[in-house]
Amino acid sequence: MEQARNYVCTECASAVPSGHKFCGACGAGVPSEAQTLETRYFGAMQMPGKARLIVVRGDAAMGEGLSYLLQATEHVAGREADQIPFPSDNWLSPTHANFHYRGERLVVRDEGSLNGVYIRTRGSTPIQIGDHFMCGQQLFRVDATPKDSSGPEADQTYFYSSPRRPSAFRVTQILEGGMDGIVCCAHERTVEIGREDCDINFPDDVNMSPRHARVEMSGDTLELVDAGSQNGTYFRIRGERELNHGDYLFLGKNLLRVEVTA
Amino acid sequence: MIVCSRCSKENQDHYKFCLGCGAELPRESSKPRSFSAPTPPGGSSTVGTGAGTGTKPPRRMQAAKALAAAESVAPAVKAESIPVQAVRSRPAAAAGPLPQELAPLVEATAPCTNCGAQVPENFRFCHVCGHDLHAAPATNGSSDAAEERVSAPAVAAAPQRTAARAKLVLIRPDGSEGEAFPLGDGPALIGRGTGGIFANDAYLSPEHTEFRFEGDQLVVKDMESLNGIYIRIEAEVPIELFDGSVFRVGQEILRFEAPTAPDPSPDGTQLMGSPHQGFMGRICLVIGRETTGNCFPIPPGGIHLGRERGDVVFPEDGYVSGLHCRIHAEVGHVFLTDLGSSNGTFVRVLNESFVPKGTFVLMGQQLFRADY
Repeated sequence: MEQARNYVCTECASAVPSGHKFCGACGAGVPSEAQTLETRYFGAMQMPGKARLIVVRGDAAMGEGLSYLLQATEHVAGREADQIPFPSDNWLSPTHANFHYRGERLVVRDEGSLNGVYIRTRGSTPIQIGDHFMCGQQLFRVDATPKDSSGPEADQTYFYSSPRRPSAFRVTQILEGGMDGIVCCAHERTVEIGREDCDINFPDDVNMSPRHARVEMSGDTLELVDAGSQNGTYFRIRGERELNHGDYLFLGKNLLRVEVTA
Repeated sequence: MIVCSRCSKENQDHYKFCLGCGAELPRESSKPRSFSAPTPPGGSSTVGTGAGTGTKPPRRMQAAKALAAAESVAPAVKAESIPVQAVRSRPAAAAGPLPQELAPLVEATAPCTNCGAQVPENFRFCHVCGHDLHAAPATNGSSDAAEERVSAPAVAAAPQRTAARAKLVLIRPDGSEGEAFPLGDGPALIGRGTGGIFANDAYLSPEHTEFRFEGDQLVVKDMESLNGIYIRIEAEVPIELFDGSVFRVGQEILRFEAPTAPDPSPDGTQLMGSPHQGFMGRICLVIGRETTGNCFPIPPGGIHLGRERGDVVFPEDGYVSGLHCRIHAEVGHVFLTDLGSSNGTFVRVLNESFVPKGTFVLMGQQLFRADY
């Protein structure tokens, strides 16, 4: 005994595949809920078409799980913002980011903040030289290989350089306060980041997965690839970016989850 | 990859000796001076490697003739007015056309009457100072007269005193001793332009360094050379590092950078970043005049450097010891300590430095020991 696998016509008991508005056997109408298989989020019952931001890892004073329903057209987040304030996070600019709707879509825009807006990559994301990204607690920048400055002098004296390998690009760790930390020149065309056995290793970063992420160059394009990490890899957006349900983003030290119902 | 013919171990292309058995590896004759893979601190590559073929003596005779010819071009002048200019130009002129195999070898030698260098007996002119060995020894009067006429650095090119108080002994790649360069009391300017054992080293500036005595101490001065002079530091004795200090481990040239204070932003926002564990600065691999490669911050607990062990490893550099040196911080200062490495840790001389007796000195791609 099995259950019918499709919607069953209430008039003639024939199976009706999804997408059909009328029963193919008897012509009876199919209720709108059964016409498509689109799943709606629970929140849609309260506020259809609107998004919600859930603070996943807020500071203690704010409490975990605080959420902001984005009912207006624009919602400003920042250290001194009215709508989505994070007063105790000094990594946030006073006006940091703006969540607004463009048509049906929720869009986040970096309001020229000092530290930017980071979005969790889904698998991989194309990036460019100069882009920033986060793994675990670590922040990185992708840099170009500097122009060779080791040629001979006019008097034919050669510059004595350390042994070098060809490298397509480099990844630079940025420390709190802005100083550069680790620099890793790509072995050939990849830099891998993780807790151990990678090109850049952070054995004591508990938020980093053993093999967390890598930056790859194929052809002339760079790609940031999350290697199935537990906490994800976040890239800094340029300008603005559409958000989807389930996106995670970092504003300063605050991790937010996006719930979009439409 | 070079496979050792004796023990079959695979060695990297730039190795001169097998890591497995120490046997000398065949050299790539097509690349006499490999720029991207510099020479180890273990010794020179230009001098002493072409040694031992039977063609040497006749060619050296030609060299002597070349020297003689070079001299005959110079206008005939009174004995006392020849000296410095001519003396300086001669070794350089000789160095250019001479193939590197002509670098002097150890055989029957006699001391130069002018500078004390050991000169092969069939040379007519000293290969170090260019002195005409068949002429009468220069009197003190004439050399002093020359000294007055020219600027100090020019004078320094040729040691003026006959008594050599110290010598720079070339250490060959295999560790054996090579040519010795005598140092007198007065300042001795050494560089590629000095000729002799320095002539073929493309990593030496024409005027690279100056040695002189201050009391009993030998002092080396960097004449704003491109690649500098490195002095081997004593094992287990911490040397303080300052912002911009350069040191050498194996074939790697590293620069210490002190931490920089963050610029406060006008609106009170702090620059975000990885946790700053109180780093004391960082070390950067020097790969160009203005460019560095890989860099590592130095946590308060310090870091160890080695080929196999340590926080920063150089698995491809066979001249780095398994555990080579460490960098640590004490009361806000950062120190470099050699941990008894085989080839030593060398610190680049900032302007001037004392050179204790028996100290190893790296200049260009050659290693010397300062004996006095």
